Amino acid sequence: MKDINEDIAWAKINTDVLKSLENPRKLYWVILAVAIAMIAVAVGCETYQYQMGMGVANMNNPHVWGLYIATFIFWIGMSHSGTLLSAILHLMHADWRKPIYRFAEAMTTFSLMTAGLFVMVHLGRLWQFYYSLPYPNERGLWPNFQSPLLWDAMAIFTYLSSSILFLYVGMIPDLAICRDNIHSGWRKKLYTALSLGWEGTDRQWRNFRVTYLTIACFLIPLAVSVHSIVASDFAMSQQPGWHVTSFPPYFVAGALYSGCAAIITLFIILRYVFRFEEYMTLSILKKTVRLTFAISMVWTYLNAVEFASVWYSHDVASKAVLIQKATGTYAPFWWMMIFCGSVVPLILAFKRFQTNIPVLLAVSLLLNLGMWLERWMIVAPTYSHGYYPWTWDHDQWPSFVQWGIVFGSFGWFTLLFMLFCKIFPSVSMYEVKEMVYHRTLAKKNLGSAKGAH
Amino acid sequence: MSVSNLLENWAEFRHTHPVDDVPHDPYKWAMSIDLDACTGCNACSVACYAENNLPVVGKEKFLHGQSMHWMRIERYWDEDGRDFPDQGAQFLPMMCQQCEAAPCETVCPVGATNHTPDGLNSQIYNRCVGSRYCSANCPFKVRYFNWYDYPTTDNVWPAEMSQQLNPDVTVRGKGVMEKCTFCVQRLTSAKNTAKNEGRIVHDGEVQTACQQACPPGAISFGNLVDADSKVFKQWKAQHVEIAEFEQAKDRGEQDNKLRGYRILEELRSYPSVMYLERVRETAV
Amino acid sequence: MSQRHMLALFNNFEEAEAVVRELRGASIKGFNADSDMVVKSPIEHPEVEEFLGEKPVYVQWFTLGGALMGGLLGFFLISGAQANFFAQVKGGKPIVPFPPNFVLTYEMFILGGVFVSILGFLICAGLPAKRSPLYSAKVSEDQISILVKSDDSAAGELKAIFTKHQAVEIQEEAGK
Repeated sequence: MKDINEDIAWAKINTDVLKSLENPRKLYWVILAVAIAMIAVAVGCETYQYQMGMGVANMNNPHVWGLYIATFIFWIGMSHSGTLLSAILHLMHADWRKPIYRFAEAMTTFSLMTAGLFVMVHLGRLWQFYYSLPYPNERGLWPNFQSPLLWDAMAIFTYLSSSILFLYVGMIPDLAICRDNIHSGWRKKLYTALSLGWEGTDRQWRNFRVTYLTIACFLIPLAVSVHSIVASDFAMSQQPGWHVTSFPPYFVAGALYSGCAAIITLFIILRYVFRFEEYMTLSILKKTVRLTFAISMVWTYLNAVEFASVWYSHDVASKAVLIQKATGTYAPFWWMMIFCGSVVPLILAFKRFQTNIPVLLAVSLLLNLGMWLERWMIVAPTYSHGYYPWTWDHDQWPSFVQWGIVFGSFGWFTLLFMLFCKIFPSVSMYEVKEMVYHRTLAKKNLGSAKGAH
Repeated sequence: MSVSNLLENWAEFRHTHPVDDVPHDPYKWAMSIDLDACTGCNACSVACYAENNLPVVGKEKFLHGQSMHWMRIERYWDEDGRDFPDQGAQFLPMMCQQCEAAPCETVCPVGATNHTPDGLNSQIYNRCVGSRYCSANCPFKVRYFNWYDYPTTDNVWPAEMSQQLNPDVTVRGKGVMEKCTFCVQRLTSAKNTAKNEGRIVHDGEVQTACQQACPPGAISFGNLVDADSKVFKQWKAQHVEIAEFEQAKDRGEQDNKLRGYRILEELRSYPSVMYLERVRETAV
Repeated sequence: MSQRHMLALFNNFEEAEAVVRELRGASIKGFNADSDMVVKSPIEHPEVEEFLGEKPVYVQWFTLGGALMGGLLGFFLISGAQANFFAQVKGGKPIVPFPPNFVLTYEMFILGGVFVSILGFLICAGLPAKRSPLYSAKVSEDQISILVKSDDSAAGELKAIFTKHQAVEIQEEAGK
């Protein structure tokens, strides 16, 4: 099996990808409509919550964080695989990333935008959101730089803006292709403006290469720091079950894990919707699946480390939280998380399932369900069994408002993502050409080596 | 400007509190609660509702865990298999412990909660954006969030009750965090009176609402810097030091006759409330 | 003397390479291979840089400057703000605490680095740019092109070289 067929004509790559901007399959419009309906649900819930107060989300006094924070971590986590594919694999010269990194990078950007919304939805006084931003003002008031939430804000801002720039810079040559091929309408104006007059001159390519590499180098530590900081929201606190040294790497592994699973899901959907069968090949899918399997095992290991270190410690409170997770009210969800996160991925180890699209679609969705549960199981059980006995057994079940907003966030993400794929080329044309070119060269060299014998 | 400010006052900016910092002066408000005297009558809690304009949320929201009792009486039972478990009941009045190194303060994204010069943990309602991180990180869970806009909710202060609201205390809107203030409005007015007369506040001159209402007088409140105050004497008698995280009682000194302890001291938040262990065997 | 732009399109990368090598080797009056020749390609060819000769890239200096500036700005802005902000104690920690400030400094370091790198890229690559005198949409498809600027007198000689190497198409335009 080949990652890509080296006989594809370069002109065909252009036409095939440009077609995705025009006529997708009907399913595309169905997805779009569903996404908008989902957003409507969330907007309704949020309006209600904004009017009435946070109480309608059914949180209570010791149990002040709910699904919003859990889902916030989930979306931040989702963003990490875009960077994995576009930056880490770029540095490793893994050619197979080329047809799929663009949409992964877009996934990064849009899941960060979704995560950002959850911070706001979570706030009791959304209308005073700007208090948490460091802006100069005549009162000399600043946010509290000691708070991990502020680090979050800073890290997310950095990550989001860098990701957008990275996505954009990497897309400039493709935007030039769009400009050269689309001759009318708002698209023409958009692509002309965004392609900045790119013509593929040697000077442009030379600087492009260095810049792309530089930003890739920055993005890798940035991605790690972002999720470590999200982990610090918990690890820096004093609460049992949160105050865990291994949280930052554990969170980063979880982030890559759920991100990779999401890439598989979106891979399958895009491949079908935009007829990308020739570019998003099964061979590439197989590599992604193997990568996901490896990361799932890393996550399983770090999970085990966390439990083991709590279990063998003398920290009575943390141990009580662990026992509470496994046997208390949240036990069904906790065990489901273990099942979805550690047992289900074992399917991916079997070769015959590594290219089986229906199975992979189901598995990737289950993996993400597991990862979402993981975040919930980090946030919630600590509240029902913290240090202070008075708070014990204060179970709290999120109301329809919380569920509605969480549900709608998936619609919001899908809408942004699907619009992106329709407006911008979601397969990197110039890089697929590079991939084809490298393969042709390799084949030629192989051929001449054989000829010499 | 700011760099020169940094350089000039560098040493001041690098102190950790309370361990290597100067003690509070002239005020450090502190409390001691004698659990042996506490009967669990809830008068303190009621007094707190009246003094601090706490919303009475009603049965339904109470069952949702959205009650606003800054001062709460917790009940615990011994599980030693005795015939009448109620006999082993213990009461613990719990309110904000006004920690010297409060875990809630560091995590607030907007700096709405700070340590004041007189040793309180202040909460600035205007600044609060409602991230609720402070409550998440509070070991005692004594912070209460305004889940609804209580002042405009019908049954919180029925018509005739609105005349009873304390004019010295603001009414909090929805989406902000609140908690026990040690009746800061009373402290401020007492301090102002004393300042006008060129002295510091005498012991007993200012009482918190809970202290005032406690029938057996289980709660003492005062200035820990003032060597004449009852609180100072109690803390001293129990060998409880504000800047320590392990007290004489924990070390088993004085033949275990000491009763004073602070809750969850090992977390090093250095609370300002000392509890005196119960010595009698039954609750009543 | 009047100037002339000429754009030659090639199907084959090797042909283009041969042309460039020949142009660099040849001495044609009114044409300087280092400054008057631009190679346009649909994909990034690292080889282009080899046969075009050493051309320095300065983006990394922007990166260095931006990252350092971002980091320093971050640290001093944050510490300065903490020191000016009523200097109130929070959680018993120092008013200017290092661990949080380092976290934020690190983020600002990256932010500065990324932003200024992009700025540097735009400056170094000369973007946004006006279209060069001659351009063919074929370049964004699959052909490699060589754009030269020369005196009128040299045009014929250049054209001969292009044709010799099987140029698919040659466009010409009288320059100013």
